[in-house]
Amino acid sequence: MMPKVSRRKSHAAFISAWAPLYLVIILIMIMPLLAGCGQKDDSWQRIQREGVLRVGLDPTFPPFEVTADPDVSGLDVDLARALADEMGLEAEFVYFGYDGLYDALATGQVDVLISALVIVPGRMRDFAYSEPYFNAGEILVSPTSSPVEDMAGLDGKKLAVELGAQGHVEATQWAKRLQDLTVLPYPSSDEALDAVALGEADAALVDGVSGRLYLQERSDLALKRANQPVTVEPYAMVVRIEDETLLARLDEALSSLSANGELEKLTERWLGT
Amino acid sequence: MRLLLFVILLRLLLPAPILVTIGPQQTVRSDHPITGVHTRLTDEVEEWKIKRTLELVREMGSPWIVEFFPWAYYQGSDGDIAWQHPDQVINHAHAQGLTVVARLGLTPDWARPPDTPLTYLDDEAYEDFAAFAAAFAERYKGKVGYLVIGNEPNLSYEWGYRPTTAEDYVNLLKVVYPAVKESNPDMQILAGALAPTLEPEGSPWGLNDLQYLADMYEAGAAAFFDGLAVHAYGLTFPAEAEPDPDILNFRRIELVREVMVEAGDGDKSIFVTETGWNDHPRWTMAVSPGQRIQYTLDALRYAEENWPFVEMLALWAFRYPAPTKSYMDYFTLVTPEFVTKPIYDAIKGYTGNDAEGI
Repeated sequence: MMPKVSRRKSHAAFISAWAPLYLVIILIMIMPLLAGCGQKDDSWQRIQREGVLRVGLDPTFPPFEVTADPDVSGLDVDLARALADEMGLEAEFVYFGYDGLYDALATGQVDVLISALVIVPGRMRDFAYSEPYFNAGEILVSPTSSPVEDMAGLDGKKLAVELGAQGHVEATQWAKRLQDLTVLPYPSSDEALDAVALGEADAALVDGVSGRLYLQERSDLALKRANQPVTVEPYAMVVRIEDETLLARLDEALSSLSANGELEKLTERWLGT
Repeated sequence: MRLLLFVILLRLLLPAPILVTIGPQQTVRSDHPITGVHTRLTDEVEEWKIKRTLELVREMGSPWIVEFFPWAYYQGSDGDIAWQHPDQVINHAHAQGLTVVARLGLTPDWARPPDTPLTYLDDEAYEDFAAFAAAFAERYKGKVGYLVIGNEPNLSYEWGYRPTTAEDYVNLLKVVYPAVKESNPDMQILAGALAPTLEPEGSPWGLNDLQYLADMYEAGAAAFFDGLAVHAYGLTFPAEAEPDPDILNFRRIELVREVMVEAGDGDKSIFVTETGWNDHPRWTMAVSPGQRIQYTLDALRYAEENWPFVEMLALWAFRYPAPTKSYMDYFTLVTPEFVTKPIYDAIKGYTGNDAEGI
């Protein structure tokens, strides 16, 4: 037999039973408001008002930053200009040493860092990263006539690397996985690539920047890079953690440059195809 | 009842914990026993990783480790000391046959004024620090042979962002030294390690290490340490580059030694508790990966052949628990995932332990 309860009592019991749920819903509704508390003003309004995006970079990392008096050029410079253009802004460049970039951003000297920077999880309390715009991971370079397309295809082959570099570490790991991979360390990535051109090695595993620069400069050599990088080392833009709107606008602009092929054109201009 | 069954079921689904044993006593085989490494197990929480790290150190042919044991991590305001983590590190190191140089530092919040950093240690807490150091020395009798008191006290950053004076640091040694010797007379107290720096007198950042050391002797330090811990990074210079008071390079150790001899303290040994080169592609103080390997081997060879007063060279740093994704990762010999780098293999070969990969 169902217990008899008054309408009033039934209503109270209903509220009591669902109270935790109400509380959760209310908390979810006000969380976005609370999230904004304690944070500094977003820089986006000022940037829009002034029409200038202040970009911090270290001008010593070609081809991302190439110093040629009186100006600095490079992939990051072109990218910054293209992004600013997409956002209806003008890019203004401020130069710092590599070690001082994050301090410059933290102290408000610039709005964004575009300087071939890798994503550092330990910095994400104070800074936010954009979507990656370049992968500087290790790439495999082999003769154009070679069927080698990935590391698994190197069994029974000779692989040139730069002594002690990340490619050497990766190659040593692959030498344990494959039955017969000979790792040949050379003093520099260029010499490892020379070894492939001279037929001393079947392929070279070098970082994406050095490898692409070499292929661009030595387009006379019948060498190619594999379609997929062997490792991932993404470069991204950095803003202060509170600048959520700026980050969203940068990501939108980057997405647009990627969709219309402009990002690829810029990359190929500085690093070849 | 249902909840209890659910919890039991959930527990059964969890993977079994990794059982870690100390294992049989090992010995380090090394053709060059001057070789050492600064491990970074302070923040390594998994015991099997502590053990694996120390096994790799032994297999590389390094008989020495330098490890940091922060006072602030272990001792609460009630005086109790949580020994579990240092026990793990030291017992595993001992089982691997490694000689441990323990660096003590960082002040708990109860032993320093409010709103001061962990590196702040003033004379009001010297007795507390000395008591901790004495307890440490007592507990690890026969397993830890050396204690380094503090770290780079000639830098303001390492001295709680205060102006740093040698006299303050010597006053600390004067309290710590007798306390430790009373609890464990065999424990060797190492002073320093001074940071190599050219900061002039009056600089807010620190003081030139050679000047600071001379000031330490002036303040009566000699009777309160048994050996000197030294940091000596090669930066962009080869290992054998000539020393110069106006340049920071590996052979600055010789200038430090000159100060000791001038003070009549030439019988004491130097322990290089941090040294090495960095091969980050962009850091301005880095060299190429190949140069890093060469300079490191040259440094070990040079020290052994020319510096009878140096007992050990500890390379910074063996491995970090997690990647820093910064230039610091390019100091290490082994990745957080325990992948050995070519420099590890090169040192392993140098010490006569069957290198691979080079």
